[in-house]
Amino acid sequence: MKLRVTTCAMLLLCISAHAEEPLFFRIGGEAKLKAAVDELVVVMLADERINFVFAQTELTRFKHLLYTQLCELAGGPCIYDGRDMRTAHAKLPIANAHFNALTEDLYIAFDRVGVSYALQNQMIALLAPMQRDIVKR
Amino acid sequence: MGCCERLSSILLGAAMLACGAPALAESWFGDQGKLLLTAGFSTVEGAGGGGLTPWALITGYGSRDSWGANTYVTGIGLRDFDFSAVGVGIGIRDRVELSFSRQQLEGTDGPLDRISVSQEVIGAKLRIFGDAVYAQDSWAPQVAIGALVKHNRGIRDGGRSGAPDLVSVTQLGASDEDDIDYYASATKIWLAQGLLVNATVRYTRANQFGLLGFGGDRDDDATIQGEATLAYLLQRKIAIGVEYRTRDRHLGVDDESAAWDAFVAWTPNRHISILAAYANLGSIAAPLTGQTADQAGAYLSAQLGF
Repeated sequence: MKLRVTTCAMLLLCISAHAEEPLFFRIGGEAKLKAAVDELVVVMLADERINFVFAQTELTRFKHLLYTQLCELAGGPCIYDGRDMRTAHAKLPIANAHFNALTEDLYIAFDRVGVSYALQNQMIALLAPMQRDIVKR
Repeated sequence: MGCCERLSSILLGAAMLACGAPALAESWFGDQGKLLLTAGFSTVEGAGGGGLTPWALITGYGSRDSWGANTYVTGIGLRDFDFSAVGVGIGIRDRVELSFSRQQLEGTDGPLDRISVSQEVIGAKLRIFGDAVYAQDSWAPQVAIGALVKHNRGIRDGGRSGAPDLVSVTQLGASDEDDIDYYASATKIWLAQGLLVNATVRYTRANQFGLLGFGGDRDDDATIQGEATLAYLLQRKIAIGVEYRTRDRHLGVDDESAAWDAFVAWTPNRHISILAAYANLGSIAAPLTGQTADQAGAYLSAQLGF
């Protein structure tokens, strides 16, 4: 009986250890995540709901910041060196609808580069709490 | 507010409009600012939720800066009855929800062939705290309380001569034609797992949602009933799930039991939702129909909103 319990516990540990491979690698690592960020920029700049927000944005820097942020959040080998979300969005009149529009565009971008919906949701789940710092009203 | 202040705010508003200020889609049909699927659907009783159970989510795609609405037509082809419902729900600032719905249950064969009962339900829901979508770093659910004010419209015999004198559910043993269900719902979306979980407690005296009136000859008291939904976000536009709802018995002529359903919901965009389900409402009025088998069948709902 004791042996069986131990075996079970070890099996569970193995399963959870396997599931613990960072999201960054399960998504497909640097190549996939960079492709998704590139695609997101294409989608969001075509999105009439939010593209005005990025009218003055320096896109190369934006892509770098977003990539390192997503990479770090997903447990990848990056360090996000940009400003915190509250400071970075302080002067932007961002409402919930804008936040969700960008989220939707990120889903679309992930779709286009072939990241599964289940993994997309895991990434979005890490970003969702930022709504509190980004949305103003 | 003085007239000058009002005037200046109007001027400011006009100036913002004229300058094309980024006031997002402040058109009459709301900002449609919620993520796809996160507005939920309209239940058969009109409140926003799944198919049979209200959720803590506020109906429609309006964000907290705006408003939204959802209309629906739902039909369930049961073994010996047709159940149908139509209605509309309005969500205001992702905080308050108001709904109106009308339901009908009509016999399709046996002793109750073409005999129908109908009721109207006015609903109100208030979101109390929590955020089912954004609070992914927390276990706290979104919680709402609500009331469904129900009015039974009586019995109608569309058939040959089945029961010409039967006009009110009180003749079947119900105590009242009007009553109120009170409920509290807690809804949590675990995005990383792709799960939506809802638990609802309801204080009710309704017989078969109220279609057979309220209270009755067997037991007249309101009771607390439990309801639950478990849904899985299969794709960005498709969710599947199951719902379970306990119910009480009040009538001698009805042996009401728990109801459940298993559904597929498809939301191609923020204006359309289609729900297809298998719904099992348990036995309905078996002593009258002589049919004790479960009343179950295909549930189909078409919903339009923004």
